[in-house]
Amino acid sequence: MEMQKQEGLLTDAEMESMTSVQASEVDDWANFKDNDIMQQQSAILAEEAEKIPFVGDKEPLSSLEAEYQSGSIILLEKIKVLSEQYASIRRTRGDGNCFFRSFMFAYLEHILNSQDRAEVDRITANVEECRKTLQSLGYADFTFEDFFALFLEQLESVLQGSEASISHDELVQRSRDQSVSDYVVMFFRFVTSGEIRKRSEFFEPFILGLTNATVEQFCKSSVEPMGEESDHVHITALSDALGVPIRVVYLDRSSCDNGVVSVNHHDFTPLTGDLPADAATVGGPEPINPFITLLYRPGHYDILYLK
Amino acid sequence: MTSSSAASRKALSKIACNRLQKELVEWQVSPPAGFKHKPTDNLQRWVIEVNGAPGTLYANETYQLQVDFPEHYPMEAPQVIFLHPAPLHPHIYSNGHICLDILYDSWSPAMTVSSICISILSMLSSSTVKQRPEDNDRYVKNCRNGRSPKETRWWFHDDKV
Repeated sequence: MEMQKQEGLLTDAEMESMTSVQASEVDDWANFKDNDIMQQQSAILAEEAEKIPFVGDKEPLSSLEAEYQSGSIILLEKIKVLSEQYASIRRTRGDGNCFFRSFMFAYLEHILNSQDRAEVDRITANVEECRKTLQSLGYADFTFEDFFALFLEQLESVLQGSEASISHDELVQRSRDQSVSDYVVMFFRFVTSGEIRKRSEFFEPFILGLTNATVEQFCKSSVEPMGEESDHVHITALSDALGVPIRVVYLDRSSCDNGVVSVNHHDFTPLTGDLPADAATVGGPEPINPFITLLYRPGHYDILYLK
Repeated sequence: MTSSSAASRKALSKIACNRLQKELVEWQVSPPAGFKHKPTDNLQRWVIEVNGAPGTLYANETYQLQVDFPEHYPMEAPQVIFLHPAPLHPHIYSNGHICLDILYDSWSPAMTVSSICISILSMLSSSTVKQRPEDNDRYVKNCRNGRSPKETRWWFHDDKV
């Protein structure tokens, strides 16, 4: 049994993939269901995912093209359209945290490159609001304060000129270091959950469209656990809570009626200031140019870079 | 079996240690109703006394939960089992393993020992029958080599009990 040989050497992520391998140990093969096979496939996928770092190196967009060389014509056409505007892609691990991980890296990298102190002050104030939101929702401080502290520490360190300042290389290293990267991802999960619960009336219809769960159940089962994938609801909530606009570019097989290939995108534009929650649906705030652009392919987010 | 799985466990990370100290203080200030932490000098293993809620099948019964914390708590879930004898319940195996999603797939760092306890008590309280899970014997036999419940592939097919 492989299980025992490797005991003690397994990380939790590996452990997760091991649990389904156990399906093959079940002595009663009559009970081996389709579900087991699916679980095994997902275990294989999880193993594959671990070969990719949490955050990859920047690659030219042509590497995306190479991926579909023997595949869909529509996708290749769309990548050609993308390459008119975008120069490169940075991949993230497909472990269910890819949206938050992409956002983390893209945001911190933006601050590192721009040294925009006003933006850091702005987001820091919003983070403090998020802290109050969680407190008012009844979360004990000790459950989230370490995650908040770690994010603020990263934010501080990408600003140059202090002892704690880090280089771009170090930012990449930290984003690949589980003890930093996962804590920041979890920070975003807290922020997202707090925003959804705070504005539960606004989010409820969207959540009911996704699952049959209440807002509370949704946050508990689909936002707060690590590895749960993100949907429009998560992105809207995070963008609103932190006040950071996000552009998501969609790369899928859908084609337009008129035969002209174009690539769709959606801008998540945060509510500004003290606008009431429903302001987003009537008119909405002034368009803001997002400095974070993510590429969405069904089930996965990566980071895109403009030319 | 539990001692062997704990022995192979790595010491708590610094951040896990800090977090647990804070959690213990909070527990001492306001413990969840029906639970009593039995003080030891081992921060990494808590033994908690559970009192069945009045008006339920487990009223006037006392059980013990053993909570073992991994190196990277709370990013990783603690291992939670009932010490012998485990309550008779359709989701609790005779070896103390508990079939409850938040202890495995649905664990989140936003949860606490206290919130786990509340979930376990609610699971006990909503039970309408005192019996073992249908596959108890096969499962317990499969665990004889000291497997942790965290290594089990759980199916959470019933959320009513």
